Amino acid sequence: MSRRTSAKANRGRMNAGLLAGGALVALVVLTALVSFFWTPHDPTLVDAAGKLREPGGGYLLGADKFGRDTFSQLMVGARTTLYVGVVAVGIAAALGVPLGMAAGMTPRGWLSELIMRVNDLVFAFPALLLAVMLGAVYGAGTLTAMIAIGVATVPAFARVARAATLQVMVTDYILAARAAGRRRGAIALRHVLPNIGSMLIVQASVSFAIAILAEAALSFLGFGTRPPTPSWGRMLQESQELLFSTPRLALWPGIAIALAVLGFNLLGDGLRDFLDPKLRRIRAER
Amino acid sequence: MLSVEGLTVRADATDLVHDVSFAIAPGERVGLIGESGSGKSLTALSLMGLLPEGVTAAGRARLGERDLVGVPESRIKGLRGDELSMVFQEPMTALNPLMRIGAQVTEVMTLHGRSRQEARARSAELLERVRLPEPAQIARAYPHQLSGGQRQRVMLAIALANEPRLLICDEPTTALDVTVQKQMLELIAEVAPALLFITHDLAVVASVCERVLVMYGGRVVESGPIREVFTRPRHRYTQGLLAASKLTPRGTRLPVIEGGVPAAGRFPGGCVFRNRCPHATPECETPPALTGDGHAFACWHPAD
Amino acid sequence: MPSHAGTQPTDALITAERLNRVYHRPRTSLTRPGAAVHALRDVSLTVRRGERHGIVGESGSGKSTLLRLLCALDQPTSGSIRFDGQEITGRPERRLRFLRENLQIVFQDPMSSLDPRMRVRDLVAEPLTALGLPVGDRVAELLDAVGLPAEAAGRYPHQFSGGQRQRIAIARALAPRPKVLVADEPVSALDVSVRGQILNLLADLVDELGLTLVFVSHDLSVVRHVCETVSVMRQGEIVEGGLVDDVWAEPAHPYTRELLAAVPTLEGFA
Repeated sequence: MSRRTSAKANRGRMNAGLLAGGALVALVVLTALVSFFWTPHDPTLVDAAGKLREPGGGYLLGADKFGRDTFSQLMVGARTTLYVGVVAVGIAAALGVPLGMAAGMTPRGWLSELIMRVNDLVFAFPALLLAVMLGAVYGAGTLTAMIAIGVATVPAFARVARAATLQVMVTDYILAARAAGRRRGAIALRHVLPNIGSMLIVQASVSFAIAILAEAALSFLGFGTRPPTPSWGRMLQESQELLFSTPRLALWPGIAIALAVLGFNLLGDGLRDFLDPKLRRIRAER
Repeated sequence: MLSVEGLTVRADATDLVHDVSFAIAPGERVGLIGESGSGKSLTALSLMGLLPEGVTAAGRARLGERDLVGVPESRIKGLRGDELSMVFQEPMTALNPLMRIGAQVTEVMTLHGRSRQEARARSAELLERVRLPEPAQIARAYPHQLSGGQRQRVMLAIALANEPRLLICDEPTTALDVTVQKQMLELIAEVAPALLFITHDLAVVASVCERVLVMYGGRVVESGPIREVFTRPRHRYTQGLLAASKLTPRGTRLPVIEGGVPAAGRFPGGCVFRNRCPHATPECETPPALTGDGHAFACWHPAD
Repeated sequence: MPSHAGTQPTDALITAERLNRVYHRPRTSLTRPGAAVHALRDVSLTVRRGERHGIVGESGSGKSTLLRLLCALDQPTSGSIRFDGQEITGRPERRLRFLRENLQIVFQDPMSSLDPRMRVRDLVAEPLTALGLPVGDRVAELLDAVGLPAEAAGRYPHQFSGGQRQRIAIARALAPRPKVLVADEPVSALDVSVRGQILNLLADLVDELGLTLVFVSHDLSVVRHVCETVSVMRQGEIVEGGLVDDVWAEPAHPYTRELLAAVPTLEGFA
């Protein structure tokens, strides 16, 4: 027998996750925005005299082996991170959602089969390998990384969109819309999309977290953001040889990545609870 | 045998069931009638100790010598499925889809201390008792291989497995076809040791029970022997509900109760029915007490 | 597709002939196709203009399948359905406009048949916007006709009770001024105290607007209250049909007798 959990308990929990996730994401976004106008120092300025400068004296977190200010680099790195996430998730959603919806609205057709089999193929292909290959062919860089991560994330969106669409398609309101004379395209835009939207938003924030990790990994491997543009992944890579002598150089970008990923994951989970129509109904009825 | 006194079920600050009292004697079949939001299912769940999280029960409910309300979960657990058992509306979700029927019937007995062998022998007997054809075959089947009516019979077999003193049925036939429903109702009436039967359907109650409690807005508004309550309803709600339940031939207008059933917690103070009642007066702002011997009702302006 | 309107009585509005619908279960084996299920077998049905026709049956009787075919929401495996003389089977949606304008449906569960993310205004206007018809003041007019306040237009379905939601569904169905209203178990998800209101409302609207009504239900007593004629379905076939009063008083088919005997009643309680 299924147990209904109380609406109140859920409300409390989802607020905590949502708030924490939202706060972390907001922090990252705010940092990125501020970095456009102000950073303590030029994050790309190489200063031989300030090499491995200790924290303090205007250098809040010290400087790296080229004398670049770590704090300023972190700030601008947030920009890169968000940029990669937005574009990669954007590509994934723009391709994956229509494909998934098309597959979900024609569940027994050849189109659906084709979409989902190609989807499986892409899904089975490691995202990082794809990025490395694209990088080798078209040259490594932020754009290549974004496209690779985006394409690799398409199947995730297509699957979620298809599963959600299948659920929506069997509801009476779709039948009612058809009986009212709505054509397929209008049904997709007016009924299916709004009703699967919440699941897509959740997927987007989870994919965002994965994209951040992927970009960091690619930059670490040298297939991501090219120098001198600051990136958290490359900061990690550059700190590698000094890991034991100056651990703080690895610590700060590591913390930044962890917090950003945690933030988007928490936000995703929080949104999942928050947007759940069943919970919403309970709230509305009270 | 079962006695309930002042049972109140609460979520947050809202009383979903308010001050409900009734008793069921051994062998007696009592119907609990109500529409959505009446609190009828919560009343049953609170007796089973199965209230949803965040919903609490207060008051007294005793089965024989044992308290059912306000005791720790562990104490009720032993009673559930043993002294007191329940059949739910949807048999598909109440059965484990991955376990064979026989094993599910046996399990409820071994859980309450019977030997495996004894339980197995008895489970065949039980499946026969609920008139399932070919009980041996049914025992080997999985839930999805049975029809809705057959699944509900299995639920009944499980409920009866440990010879409970009281059987609670919550809309057990609502999901079934009428022809299947009829047989199921006859079976329940026959095998129940003592019955609390919850439904929204007056005609179903009339065919199974001897006594009835009418709930509305979380309160019992009328109670008594079925024949008396249904032929001479006193509470205006019962009267309206009975009138609305009888479908007349075409061309006639159906008698209606105005308005809709309020959402939980939105019922008016005083008499819970007064915002829909054609006989309501300012007096009804004071809550009427449930009074009367045998046939009791809570109404300031009862029907004759 | 050419129609053969000349051969039927002029007052027949819906004519279904020898409808069959076979579903295939999903395959459970790689080598064999899934089992075939005959949801409808040779079902023929005529509904005359202005008639109130009930379709009664239990689960698996094929009544829902028949209803979907009549509304062109599904295609028959074989057979024909003419609406006002025009064949409706085998047509793509863009060539069904005449049907959508003239035949509308009220579904069983108003909780699930109204898109939870649309406002009442848009829900009621949807048949109009979908068909490119002007909306104008029609929404307010319709809400008034079904006994809902005008402010209802700005709210969402979950803010209403079950009975009110079914009123919204009825308003929506009436929006394009259809000739035929198809109601699929419109009161079986409602509380008893509200059921009468909806049945009375339906009867009033059908009278007032001169509608033809196709009313599907599992409950013969509800059909007896609403309809003049009835078809009793069982396992994909119509086993008995005729005037409701005749079928009620003297059921000819054993299944109809069984059905009537099984319905619990309050008769005997005056």
